[in-house]
Amino acid sequence: MNEQIRQILAEQAGLAVPVETLGDDDDLFAAGLTSFGVVNVMLALEDALDVELPEHLLRKSTFQSVSALATVLGGLAPTMAP
Amino acid sequence: MSGATAAAPGVAVGVDVVLVEDVVRSLERHGERFVGRVFTAHEQEACTGPTPVRARHLAARFAAKEAVIKLLRPDGAQPDWRSIEVRRQAGGSCTVELSGTAARLAAERGLGPIAISLCHEGPVAVSVVLAAAGGVPAVDAEAAAAG
Repeated sequence: MNEQIRQILAEQAGLAVPVETLGDDDDLFAAGLTSFGVVNVMLALEDALDVELPEHLLRKSTFQSVSALATVLGGLAPTMAP
Repeated sequence: MSGATAAAPGVAVGVDVVLVEDVVRSLERHGERFVGRVFTAHEQEACTGPTPVRARHLAARFAAKEAVIKLLRPDGAQPDWRSIEVRRQAGGSCTVELSGTAARLAAERGLGPIAISLCHEGPVAVSVVLAAAGGVPAVDAEAAAAG
């Protein structure tokens, strides 16, 4: 799932640095992710995984890193490979 | 007063800026799913026209929503964007109406009515919001969220 997340971040997040230079635990907001970027990332991930992020998961920590996203999305899409 | 905590008296302020071209890109990539996930029916009706024009209005409203979220300072989950509604009034001025989690957070912070200003010029849209904080007793948070 991490590679799928990275692909979507590369296409949607508008980060200030290439996503391939970031580790799974690096802070995406420190790398330039904005509140508007969060919307695009959220919509693209929802489309890709056929899930909808509920309001209680709509928090900064969900989008903090690749690994944080993988953990949250893994809980929503349990059939996806880790 | 259940769950409501009056903050120190003062003024709370929030500001946010959005690039109009980012909204154009989101409209192109995600279409009406983007609009429906972020904006209320009233906001959608207020933001019509060709994509470049529509994007300016949507960008200003998204900036307003994020400015209000800064005002609310959520510790955990942030409110759904649709629980912060920018309402256009006759004459062109705008007001903000909160519901759900946004209304609960505002009550917990003891925020008074929120004043809002929106503008867009060329590539950017900006919004500033202002509210009295803790100057009046906080209302019942559950009642506010239900209302």
